Amino acid sequence: MNSSNKTNILEKYREIAESYKGSFSYIKDTVLITVDKNALRDIAETIYWKMDCYHRTCVGVDETPLNGYLALYHIFGDDKNGLNIIVKTITELKNPVIPSIRDIVPAADWCELEAHDLLGIVFENRDLYRLVLPPYWPRDIYPLRKNIPYNYRPEVVYSSERISESTETAVVPIGPYHPALHEPEYFELFVEGEKIVDVKYRGFHVHRGIEKLGESRTTYQQINFLAERICGICGFVHAVCYSQAVEKAANIHVPERARFIRSIALEIERLHSHLLWIGVAAHILGYDTGFMHSWRIRESIMLIAELLTGSRKTYGINLIGGVRRDIDENKIKKVLETLDYVEKDFKKLIDIITSVPEITRRIKDTGVLPKEDARKLSVVGPVARASGLDRDIRRDLPYAAYEYVDFNVPVYDSGDNLARFKVRVDEVFESISIIRQLLSNLPKGPVLNNEFEIPEYKIGVSLVEAPRGEDVHFVITGRGKPYRWRVRAPTYNNIPALKVMLQGCTLADAPLTIASIDPCFSCTDRIVIIDEKGFRRSILLNPFNRKCDLK
Amino acid sequence: MKKLDFLKILVIATETGRVTRKYPYEPPLVSNEFRGKIEIDEKKCIGCGACVIACPPNALELKIEKNILILKYFVGRCIFCWRCVDVCPVKAIRGTSDFELATDNISDLNEAVIHDRNECIECRGNYSTVKQKQYVIEKSPITENYVSKCPDCRRNGFINSIQRRKGGVYAE
Repeated sequence: MNSSNKTNILEKYREIAESYKGSFSYIKDTVLITVDKNALRDIAETIYWKMDCYHRTCVGVDETPLNGYLALYHIFGDDKNGLNIIVKTITELKNPVIPSIRDIVPAADWCELEAHDLLGIVFENRDLYRLVLPPYWPRDIYPLRKNIPYNYRPEVVYSSERISESTETAVVPIGPYHPALHEPEYFELFVEGEKIVDVKYRGFHVHRGIEKLGESRTTYQQINFLAERICGICGFVHAVCYSQAVEKAANIHVPERARFIRSIALEIERLHSHLLWIGVAAHILGYDTGFMHSWRIRESIMLIAELLTGSRKTYGINLIGGVRRDIDENKIKKVLETLDYVEKDFKKLIDIITSVPEITRRIKDTGVLPKEDARKLSVVGPVARASGLDRDIRRDLPYAAYEYVDFNVPVYDSGDNLARFKVRVDEVFESISIIRQLLSNLPKGPVLNNEFEIPEYKIGVSLVEAPRGEDVHFVITGRGKPYRWRVRAPTYNNIPALKVMLQGCTLADAPLTIASIDPCFSCTDRIVIIDEKGFRRSILLNPFNRKCDLK
Repeated sequence: MKKLDFLKILVIATETGRVTRKYPYEPPLVSNEFRGKIEIDEKKCIGCGACVIACPPNALELKIEKNILILKYFVGRCIFCWRCVDVCPVKAIRGTSDFELATDNISDLNEAVIHDRNECIECRGNYSTVKQKQYVIEKSPITENYVSKCPDCRRNGFINSIQRRKGGVYAE
């Protein structure tokens, strides 16, 4: 985007802000608009629909120690112009009411509920229910408020949640613990015969309170390692996203070589994640041969990850200001050799998988997500690209070293499981090409900048394209640690789309369709409730009782 | 023939052969770059606590018991990030590629380095460690008298000296 175009766009946002009597400021790619809460709905409509922005997330912040107010930051994304639009509004602590924008921006549904659960912000004109916190958590305790200590343990009486009962349709529960699921998640599928007519999702069984921990227990550099543990598959994405947010807020210089190494590690992570997903998809379809061979190819990616970073997963090489491990010539040679082999082998395998008639028939035209619904829900990543939304953060808001490489963004229009499969297959080849380009152009120089100071109360929003879609980290800096750290994992935006995908689908296609968004529930949930004795407790839904209820 | 294309997997399978390794009867599964358990050299360690501050999961802890200071390492909490290896000023911590740490005895997972603490020449209280004091004397030209006092006595001494000086000025 050229500079005159950018000035025009910024001028437009300034006009919007002024027309709603709001203040306007911008730094680099982030526009901050502060408006009165009564104007929030109108400005949200203008930005989301007229300016054609996506909704990334909203962040509730307890600013009472600073100014006595609770604040809500809605983050919109103008991907076409490479901008983040933050709309800030504040409300009094005594009567914390903010108008809901869910009916205008359906994508804001969950994050409003989360702000309600964790900060006690009340949203007008919508139904409010518990999303993140368990049902037995005391009503008047909001964990993310600054007056609640991070190690606070309320005395609770554990209770279970009621499951849905219906006289018209049969209810098929999946989860929270199920041999076929890798993480705790709970779906209720309402079926009529073989057809699914409605879906209910109850997640957040593994909300670990990581954000509170980061705001109170750790230091800036330690959070890199904590963030890496948000997800078991795309952990490095979170580490990079967090440090980029702090780097943006504090204006820290990152050496070019460090940015290249970050990009290389991110692409390796994408490769392993997509190969893992293709294997799992084959496994769910009963084609275990494909699963075994996909994971065999993935193993060589894991080995180069270990070679470059020192660990197969949770690489642990990222710090604010750069990376901790350098790459030498020997390693480059070995990685290139492995990539050649992986590319060849993967091509052969994909040709075979797509020639199995049972596979192609089961993934074609199942779990369709139409483009309009995808737009409404602001879905991200391969799910968006398979439904015809051309969005990829690596290209739209380049970070790390993505501005130095050429790559295609695969987009398909059919929105079914096959399209999502194809997007991921194409991305594997693109990733291999990106790593090759990065390795051959690796600049010389240091990899870590240790000399920086982080000023207080600066805002940083950072985006990273994870294998599952865009990952958003929002940081307000504080003294020695962030004042507020908000994580929005990609699956957070994609799960609501499952409702659309599953409706009208047959029951047998449900497992694959759920898997087709490549869900990552721990990312999305971020809690473990640990009781006094240190035992993990999850939501108490007794599967045996449930069966009796359904009888 | 196209219908039978998927049978080509048999060719791949035969070409690849067996990929499962005969662990633990074969040489190590991990490369030289692998980050495993850390080892603390008791002789080099000065008990400064830099590693404790850097450690993200609190696997390293400092405990003070009267006149000794204990640096505790609990493998069960360790995330093998080697931040401690980076920050150790005397290179007392070494990373190994040891990953076979499963045990049925929890005490196998604990390691400790015990340090003697200094005695303050003024208040006779304990502070820092003997080795850290030696390290400071070697590294920087501070008078031994100064480092032989505990931080509290040092602070009090400083404040007292300022007060005295101020008082002198006002007296004139």
